[in-house]
Amino acid sequence: MEDIQKLIPQRNPIIQVDELTRVEGDSAETRLLVKADNYFIDEDQLFAEPGLIEHIAQSASAFAGYQALQQGATTPPVGYIGEVKRFHCYRRPAIGEQLHTTIIMGAEVAGVTMLTGETRVGEEVVADTQMKIFVEQ
Amino acid sequence: MLLENKYYKLIRVDDSESPLTKTYHLALIPDCDVYRGHFPGNPVCPGVCNIETIKECAMMLTGKKLLISTIKQCRLTAIATPAVCPEISVEVTATETPQGYTILATIADAQQTYMEYKGDMMIL
Repeated sequence: MEDIQKLIPQRNPIIQVDELTRVEGDSAETRLLVKADNYFIDEDQLFAEPGLIEHIAQSASAFAGYQALQQGATTPPVGYIGEVKRFHCYRRPAIGEQLHTTIIMGAEVAGVTMLTGETRVGEEVVADTQMKIFVEQ
Repeated sequence: MLLENKYYKLIRVDDSESPLTKTYHLALIPDCDVYRGHFPGNPVCPGVCNIETIKECAMMLTGKKLLISTIKQCRLTAIATPAVCPEISVEVTATETPQGYTILATIADAQQTYMEYKGDMMIL
């Protein structure tokens, strides 16, 4: 789909999504290849938990950016994490692993959107969470 | 530690009556490279960097290497930036569990609270 830099306002070194791969109704899928120079590679050479949270947040941001562009916006909206709830990290992904994430957007109330995100490596769920994102109007 | 001396510097630690509650006074590093991308021309502390900062303070408090296994709830109550809050205080309380600790933490300065955090961390 679109170049990721058109869909999200973040820039390196913090970009944590490679591609928005599918959008269907209120759900979307993204992917990220964990590389050795990723900002969140820790001393064990694994992708640290805050990186997983940021990857899920930016996956939602890419989805919102895609929808905004469809509606005629020229730049992606800037969103902030308002709340992280029921986050689980089952394991930290290794360098070279491909993350696939599914985002399901909930209702938006006064600029705040509730969403759920699940990140897998192959069939294995490595992290899941609920999140509230608010978008600067 | 991923972010110590990169995103923040430790200024001072305040003890409390309990050995498992301490307050870490930190200076945010305004020219940290994370702000080049979050966001260009509009430096805002990434919420996830503040979550990692809480984890690192919990590791200093417990003397253990920790993994964030669950976050029960983490509320970001105000937008933090290195200009708005050049110095922050992270108050951390750890309670032992079979696999590690339940961590309660807040990030605040004299003006306001930026983050309220509750979750379990596992000893690695």
